[in-house]
Amino acid sequence: MPAAVASQWRDRQQRVFQSVFQTNATPPSTSSSAFTDPGHQQQQTHPGHGHIFHASGNPHQATAAQPLFPPPAPPAAEDHQAAYDRAWHVVTAHIALPASATADDSFGSTLAADSQQPQDFHDAFALLANPRSLLPRAARTDDILAWHVRQVRAHFTQHVIPLLKGCVVDDVGVEDEGESGDEYQGNRGKRSRTTERRGNHYERHMVVVMSSIRTLEAALRLYFYGLNQLLAGFARLVDVAPEVAKDAEVLNARFRRDLHALVSSSVSDGLLKSIRAVLARLAGTVLGIPSQEEHGEGPARPVAPGPEDLRVQAARERLIELVQQLHNVGLAGERFQVLFAEVMDAMMSAFVTGAYAGVWSAPDTRSFATVMDTVSRSASMSVASPCIISLEGWVENHFARLSFEVLTCISANAQGPLPVSLADLKTYQSLALGRLAALRIQELFDIVLAWPASRPALDDLRATITTAARRKQLTDGFSRALQRRLLHPGCSTLEILQTYISIIRALHALDPSKVLLGRVEPGLRLYLCQREDAVRVVVSGLLASPEEMRAARKDKDTWKQQKTGQSQRDDATHPRRRGRDAGPFTTPGPSSARTPRTTTKPITPEPEQVSSNDKANHHYPTKLVELALLLNEPHTKPASSQAVVDSDLDWNDMSWLPDPIDAGVNYKRPRSEDVIGTLISALGSPDVFIKEFAACVAERLLAGEATRVFDQELRVLELLKRRFGEGMLQGCDVMIRDVVDSRKVDGFIRREQRRKLAAAVATPGRGAEEGEGGMEYHARILSRLFWPGLEREHFLLPPAVVEQQKRYEEGYEGLKSRRKLTWLNQMGQARVELELADRTLTVDCTPVEATVVYAFQGDEGDGEPAAPVQKSADELYELLQMDEDLITAALQFWAARGVLRRVGGANSNTYVVTETLTQTTSATSNDAEPTATATADEAMQEDDAAAAGAAAKQPAMSAKERERREVYWRYIQGMLTNASASMPLAQMAMMMKMLIADGFPWSNEELQDFLGEKVAAGEMEVVGGKYRLVKK
Amino acid sequence: MSFTEDSQNSAPGSAQAKLGGARKAPEPGQNAAKRLQTELMQLMTSPAPGVSAFPSADGNLLSWRATIEGPDDTPYSGLTFKLSFEFPSNYPYAPPTVLFRTPIYHPNVDFSGRICLDILKDKWTAAYNIQTVLLSLQSLLGEPNNSSPLNGEAAELWDKDPALFKTKVMDRHKDVEDD
Repeated sequence: MPAAVASQWRDRQQRVFQSVFQTNATPPSTSSSAFTDPGHQQQQTHPGHGHIFHASGNPHQATAAQPLFPPPAPPAAEDHQAAYDRAWHVVTAHIALPASATADDSFGSTLAADSQQPQDFHDAFALLANPRSLLPRAARTDDILAWHVRQVRAHFTQHVIPLLKGCVVDDVGVEDEGESGDEYQGNRGKRSRTTERRGNHYERHMVVVMSSIRTLEAALRLYFYGLNQLLAGFARLVDVAPEVAKDAEVLNARFRRDLHALVSSSVSDGLLKSIRAVLARLAGTVLGIPSQEEHGEGPARPVAPGPEDLRVQAARERLIELVQQLHNVGLAGERFQVLFAEVMDAMMSAFVTGAYAGVWSAPDTRSFATVMDTVSRSASMSVASPCIISLEGWVENHFARLSFEVLTCISANAQGPLPVSLADLKTYQSLALGRLAALRIQELFDIVLAWPASRPALDDLRATITTAARRKQLTDGFSRALQRRLLHPGCSTLEILQTYISIIRALHALDPSKVLLGRVEPGLRLYLCQREDAVRVVVSGLLASPEEMRAARKDKDTWKQQKTGQSQRDDATHPRRRGRDAGPFTTPGPSSARTPRTTTKPITPEPEQVSSNDKANHHYPTKLVELALLLNEPHTKPASSQAVVDSDLDWNDMSWLPDPIDAGVNYKRPRSEDVIGTLISALGSPDVFIKEFAACVAERLLAGEATRVFDQELRVLELLKRRFGEGMLQGCDVMIRDVVDSRKVDGFIRREQRRKLAAAVATPGRGAEEGEGGMEYHARILSRLFWPGLEREHFLLPPAVVEQQKRYEEGYEGLKSRRKLTWLNQMGQARVELELADRTLTVDCTPVEATVVYAFQGDEGDGEPAAPVQKSADELYELLQMDEDLITAALQFWAARGVLRRVGGANSNTYVVTETLTQTTSATSNDAEPTATATADEAMQEDDAAAAGAAAKQPAMSAKERERREVYWRYIQGMLTNASASMPLAQMAMMMKMLIADGFPWSNEELQDFLGEKVAAGEMEVVGGKYRLVKK
Repeated sequence: MSFTEDSQNSAPGSAQAKLGGARKAPEPGQNAAKRLQTELMQLMTSPAPGVSAFPSADGNLLSWRATIEGPDDTPYSGLTFKLSFEFPSNYPYAPPTVLFRTPIYHPNVDFSGRICLDILKDKWTAAYNIQTVLLSLQSLLGEPNNSSPLNGEAAELWDKDPALFKTKVMDRHKDVEDD
């Protein structure tokens, strides 16, 4: 009878379902259609079921049904078998899953309706559970538990998975559009554009996750209902037949495990994506990393949240709850753990890069207050850097805590070891420090540029580059940055050297052993060797005058003041953005030539930029004054060389450290940062340096006025002597002595001359002439062997000068017998006073120029107005026996000053004295009356020459330019004839740059214009973006 | 009224700057690349008619391409020949390797373009340069050295049957494309 009751009940249930859910998706309540009895009838009553069963049969069902179609049982077993089948039917009907697949609520309500088990269920269950003793002859038996699992699987596949898909599917569109929104960092760029659409992005993901969870919860409730029924059945049997009773706990756990495996293996990518988005958002809030949706404008910096932040607490609770739910429905499996790990990983990176990029120090305690608030005292290890302390605090108090909470939620057994141990915390911290190191390594070039404001950043780095691998990473990265940003033609040698100095100092601060510096240097040195002016820049920097040093120092001070002033202003105006924009933290960007950091956000032009530009204006074009400053700093004196020598034997040296492991074999511990020494040694062999130094010193010695004292030179000389030894610098010693001696000799000779002159006054005729035409004449006597670059240039000096020379010679030979003077006519300076018709002017020039203009001196026709003197370059050549180039240059020099004027067309080289300025303006009228000629001296005139000079220059320039263009054109022809018949513009420009020895000054655009002219002229054509010659 | 001259005391640098003409040209032969760059400049500033040369498009200064136009009044008149120059790193102390890339029918050139010319072998001196080599080759086109031919048939035909020689020249010649 029980079977009939069950059947009735079941029919009723079917009807209820069908009235609600029109169709058919009911799974078979029995595991077999082979029942002879009510089961069979039932099959007939609802023929659709069988059909559906077969049609929708999936592997589970197929295998489940298989054993129930054995060959016919022996007749003796008939009734036992029938009883068993009936019992089977009763039980399965009772725990059969509803066919409903839509509303999750319906699962729950159906189940809640009949929680008490009818008696017939227990009877039948007893039969099923213990068939061997109760129905020994029933041949076909099956495990009811296994059946339940199978039906659960089928149900899950058929109904729940589609439901889950439905939850996710409507979000796919959004996903595709804003894919990167999931990755936390990814969407900064698109932020503004997509803010609107993305405003509820997180909410949508949340909805997806929650509906999925709810669906799963409902389904699981349903499945556990069946299980509990069975377990209750087993529980009843404990008394009756203990041998078949099973441990409910074990069964329950196994069932749960199976289910979770089922759920987690069926999670769709869309759902995972949503979970990731939700996790990222919640974890981001908990960890203090702002998301884009909250901060529409301007990237906010991540800041570790304070303990009282309600938003954070809410997010934390929400997150824990969510994880708990996920865990309950089996979504917290391995894939979730991987996902969580990924999210946390991204969080750590985002925090490190967000919070510390460009932040190199704490200007005051306030600035870091928010971060520092949360720093636990225990985190203060040996490191003192504020960034590291705050980062470790963040990891400990937020990162590790969150990990701990989440992992506790999803850990399998609460009694096991803690999910996050102290060792894990240390691992996290070292991971975070590693990222900080990577960040700093990336920023190192900027850090170096900002030295010494960036010192705290170096502290970070020093504390974090603890392994040889990281040190290597640092040097490699830095070398790359150097190549990209410094060692290119856009940077002047001065800038490179200035940066080099910063590098030396910064890397020395980073690593006193200098191993890092040594590894970065080779590329830099190699490049500097190509810069021919490098030595000269260094030498002139070393020799910078005290005034220049003072100016530089002042610059630096004002710059600093501006910086601090500005950062205070910043604090006032943008309290939130203090960290990023405050002066000392940003790259000072000292020169536009340095490639801007690609990662730096464009900072709106603020006073800071202006100030650094100012700095560039009056600081950079000068010299490498830093060197002179260093030279004058007291501590550059060798600090007790005694101690240095013994340092290896000094067993009391408490600051001794072993050599770095990555040091080379010949490593020798340096004593100090020694910028100058490093720089000098970087410039190649000492010979080169000394030669350049000698040339530079020679120039300065000769250029200076007679009374100058050469303090700076002597000081640098002393320094170099210490480095290179006395012998090599002997030449410089001699040079300085020469100059000093010359003064004495000069003074002596002139006294002698005056004495003679005074004696000669008695003879009137000669004395008068000398008194009038006499000029001051000084000489410096140089030792021929020791001065570099002394070459004689032959030309004839004006007679008056020759006369002076002769007398000077006599004086000298009287002073030092058996020595002879050889005059270097082209060297020296002359002060020329020119009296022209309407003006008088005094010009400092070279002897060559003075000689040339002297040749224009009018004949001594006193009182007679003569025509302006006119001479051609050829005449001058014969007259002066001077190099034509020099003559031309000198003529142009005077023409530019308006003293001379070119006559007779652009190509003539005949010049005439411009006696009055009006002539200059009306260049054509040559007939203006020259009122007065130059007397004993030169014709002279003022600076109005601009017009005449420019006029003279213009055709010359363009002639030169024409010639140059002609040569370039031949290059291009040669290139396209031989190298390749057609070439793109860029390649042509590159080849020209490489191949033309004197350099190729054109930009690509200029070359393009040039080629465009050729194309227009029909000599070239452009085919497919490449230029080629037109074949004739 | 005073012409003051302070002779002898001048900055060497500024004086040198004025002495534009006195600046020394870079020493040739210090290294091949520098020398080749200088030669290129010479070729460009004072080109010789009918020959031209340029470094190859890959930017390798030690590998050049050159063009010779066949001289008038020779069988090669009106034809253009491409050559390749490969310079050793100790150039100009060793001759470049010169090959005809354009197929040419010539007594002193074999079928793979190799050239028999004494100045490219044992008679090479550092005084030769690309331009002189090209001009020598150009004159070789008009006056082959038939006593030591690489192409015996051509040497024979040159004297015996100029018409057939010309035909062979035209048959053999074909324009090569750039690589």
